[in-house]
Amino acid sequence: MIGPDFPDVLGAAARGDEEAFGRLWRDLHPRLLRYFGVVSRAAAEDLASETWLGVVRGLDRFQGNEPAFRAWVFTIARHEVLDWRRRAARRPAADLPMNGLVEWAAPDDPAADAVEGFSTRAALAELATLPADQAEAIMLRVVAGLGVDRVAAIMGKRPGTVRVLTHRGLRRLAERLGGDGRFRRVV
Amino acid sequence: MAADDASSAEMRRRHVNHDADPLALDEETVERLLTGTLPPAQAPAGYEKVAQLLAAAAAAPTPEELVGQGAVLAELRAAARARPTAAMTRGTASPPRRRRRTGLAVVVVVGAMVTGGVAGAATGHLPGPVRDAARAITGAAGNGTPSSPTTPGQPPASAPRITDAGGAGPQGSRPGGTGGPGPGSTGGGPVAGAALEGLCEAYAAGNGAAQGGKLDATAFKALATAAGGEDKVATFCEDLLPGDQKLKDPKDPKQPGSSGTGGQGGPPASTGGQGEGGPPPETGRAP
Repeated sequence: MIGPDFPDVLGAAARGDEEAFGRLWRDLHPRLLRYFGVVSRAAAEDLASETWLGVVRGLDRFQGNEPAFRAWVFTIARHEVLDWRRRAARRPAADLPMNGLVEWAAPDDPAADAVEGFSTRAALAELATLPADQAEAIMLRVVAGLGVDRVAAIMGKRPGTVRVLTHRGLRRLAERLGGDGRFRRVV
Repeated sequence: MAADDASSAEMRRRHVNHDADPLALDEETVERLLTGTLPPAQAPAGYEKVAQLLAAAAAAPTPEELVGQGAVLAELRAAARARPTAAMTRGTASPPRRRRRTGLAVVVVVGAMVTGGVAGAATGHLPGPVRDAARAITGAAGNGTPSSPTTPGQPPASAPRITDAGGAGPQGSRPGGTGGPGPGSTGGGPVAGAALEGLCEAYAAGNGAAQGGKLDATAFKALATAAGGEDKVATFCEDLLPGDQKLKDPKDPKQPGSSGTGGQGGPPASTGGQGEGGPPPETGRAP
């Protein structure tokens, strides 16, 4: 959270202040990793690096409040995903990375942080099984913390479409989670 | 209270035919799930686990997610060298902008939140964004000096958060400094800004007829606190939400066709007023 400091932090970061930039990074980098992990299923670290490169390059030109900044960062992030998909499509199938979420799906890992009955890893792995558009819309809403309109702008869809996607995604999750007990319950 | 929330939630869901479709959701419930303002215990039948899953997806960062800052800072230095004009010299840098009013409001009321029951959020009794907001806010002024928002306080014991000297306010400008936090730094609790945006969306989603029921008491109280008062929520959200979202959400069938009640600057009735002093929402989760 940057919050009230955000304008100052942004300004300082744009002038090259590393502490200020670090605050932006620590706030958004984990969210980027989760987003990439779900929508690209691999290469999260690489895509995050590319995204931050884009942020660094454009930081001194960005203007806006914190929600707008977050939306801007995730706009860059989505472009990176699209580029990655294009590159991946050109590669031989054998070169495609395996689903990076295999590593996440460790519901019995006692070290995994668990919140509200799920570990974050298990939750992300489950979200990654949704149809791509649904997963992305939910990730941008829930993890990126963006509103419907901003998500719609990022995904190039209408707000109504984003609502439908998230609605369907939640419903599908409910169907999948209907008591099959695959996930460790904390309680 | 839980009973109020339960009944209002039932009212919101009433137009959905659960007999025909046990997993049917109305838009407002979807919004509350997505913004983490619907405690799992109050989620509609079949959606408790979904609410838990979403909360876990948005949980505070893990240490391994906070590794690798060094490479980015190297890029930052390179970029700064590439554009030396006015950028790196403190003297020519534009003066720090004034804190935005909304931001200030968040800070000013932090003390109230810390002592007003939201402190419980730091221990995880609130759903995702709400908990994040409270956690971040309490973290930002945990030392009880809301007049000095650039001074980080003590972190809540249970919540990873920003621990750097990142107060990095205007005085923190140190061009060329090498003191960037290393990979081991923790912190970066999720953002209250976005959480507040989510609360505003939930607020906007319920704008109109059932205003009192759109947010549960604690969530609305957090929002009202951040806004500086219940009567300022509308204006606060106006500023926070983008474009056409505002407080006139077309997806809400209850939205009056006219200029709307409680829209632009209209005082939002006694929304959630019953939440004063109420406990955090019950999540039905054992410690």
